[in-house]
Amino acid sequence: MSSSAPVLQVRGLKKTFITPFRRLRVPALKKIDFQINAGEITGFLGANGAGKTTTIKCLLELAFPDEGEITYFGQKGLSLEAKARIGFLPERPYFYEHLTGLEFLQFYGQLSGRIRGVDLRRRAEELLERVKLQHAGTRPLRGYSKGMLQRIGIAQALIHRPDFVILDEPMTGLDPDGRFEVREIIREVAKQGTAVFFSSHLLPDAEQLCRRLVIVKKGEMVFEGGTHELLDQVQRGWLIHWRSPENPNELKSETVADLVNLQVQIDAVRKRGGQIEDVTRVRASLEEIFMKIGFEDSALLKSQQGRSPEVVR
Amino acid sequence: MFQSVYVIARNTFREVIRDRILYGLAVFGVMLVMFALALGQLSFSDHVRLTANFGFTAIHISSAILSIFIGSTLVSREIEKQTILTLLARPISRTQFILGKAMGLMGVILCVDLGLALILALILAGIDFEFSVNFGVAMFGVLIEALLLVSLTLFYGTFAKPFMTVVFSAASFLLGHWISSLDFFVEKSQSEGFRIVGGLLMRAVPNLEAFNWRSAPVYNLQVAPGEVLVALFYGLAWSLILLSATSIIFRRRDFV
Repeated sequence: MSSSAPVLQVRGLKKTFITPFRRLRVPALKKIDFQINAGEITGFLGANGAGKTTTIKCLLELAFPDEGEITYFGQKGLSLEAKARIGFLPERPYFYEHLTGLEFLQFYGQLSGRIRGVDLRRRAEELLERVKLQHAGTRPLRGYSKGMLQRIGIAQALIHRPDFVILDEPMTGLDPDGRFEVREIIREVAKQGTAVFFSSHLLPDAEQLCRRLVIVKKGEMVFEGGTHELLDQVQRGWLIHWRSPENPNELKSETVADLVNLQVQIDAVRKRGGQIEDVTRVRASLEEIFMKIGFEDSALLKSQQGRSPEVVR
Repeated sequence: MFQSVYVIARNTFREVIRDRILYGLAVFGVMLVMFALALGQLSFSDHVRLTANFGFTAIHISSAILSIFIGSTLVSREIEKQTILTLLARPISRTQFILGKAMGLMGVILCVDLGLALILALILAGIDFEFSVNFGVAMFGVLIEALLLVSLTLFYGTFAKPFMTVVFSAASFLLGHWISSLDFFVEKSQSEGFRIVGGLLMRAVPNLEAFNWRSAPVYNLQVAPGEVLVALFYGLAWSLILLSATSIIFRRRDFV
């Protein structure tokens, strides 16, 4: 793999399911294009049924796309070598209930072929400690709570020190402490150079974690680009705080829509002898943007490769 | 290649060994073998032969039930519980997955069959049974048949639900043992339709009687090594064909 090659490149991914008996064609993915770069955390957002899990399954050949090209580490297709460099946590953390936590991690480590013996045992113990399950390492998974299963699932995805991790809804079922822990783990992993691609319904987590976002709606990609580019693009304006000379104890504030109005307002305050205290850019939260994309067809957001995102009307 | 198959086989072995269903079936097998002793008492003159005969049949039936019942949920359970997703996301092929599952279950069947054989041997030793190499040959036949049944059950399991998999496998098991009788009826039949269907069935189902050497230790019959070797190749060839077909069907399957 050349250092500049993206970890994953997806072009024109299409998938249609055929229902049993009536043989109806249900298009699940209409056209998905995006890429993931090394060391970046990319969020994969979309409403229920938007095609997130189907996309992830197509990426891992758990479902086969009808059309499209998937390139891993600069090479077409998902070879066994590429698989060895990928970690995966599925949407629902159902694992082998008969295994203990330690056995479970060792099993997946052995399957990866990248780590074995004493190294594997040490890595498994280290990860159990990292996901705060060291006390449950010798207990069978059938006795684990949902949150514990989610955390051991994240550990299995990381057991072989992958270069790329795909996490399908990693925060689901976790309490606030657990979500904080998972966020910290994702940050740590990315800091070590691993690319992270995770789907989520929890937009504040995506907003905090992701440098890039991919948003899908009804099987189509509606946005790919930087998180801040998206947030900046759909900003609400500027908030100005000032004090007037007549009543200096009162802090006044006003929101203006754009830069031109911001200058006009600042000039007006200064002309009256007022004092500008603060000017803040008001941005919509990812949640608001997501709702807009999800429910308003007129405000589809699109971004082309290497360009800033823009609102398409 | 073999490392991944071994890791999956070991996990499957552990999974089945830690499953309560196995113990239910194993206890059934033990009781059936023990019943041979009671049944032997019914005969005044030939109780040793009757005990041995029923004992081997008990092992054979237990082994077949184990292969079919556990084999029918071996892959479907992975799909239903979605454990297959994390497994196939690892650097293993679907063929390796199928082979690993089959080998893991065969490991369990080997342990259970050997355990039952040991119990039968202890029972027979207590009633002055004359042991010979045929005891091992009979058990070898049971194990090859189990391998074939596991392969057959895995094959049906790729396109049928567990209940139907059990039905298809049990039907194949019965048909496989009645192939010689079917051959007789096909030859004698006046109906062209029956001859065609019967002929097709005889070719579609393996002849499981080819591995039946269970009478040899009972009646002290000679089994030619060549016959065992031919049967071994026959069983392995069928298993290979069935596992390859399973793997081909499974290769392009979507897990949604």
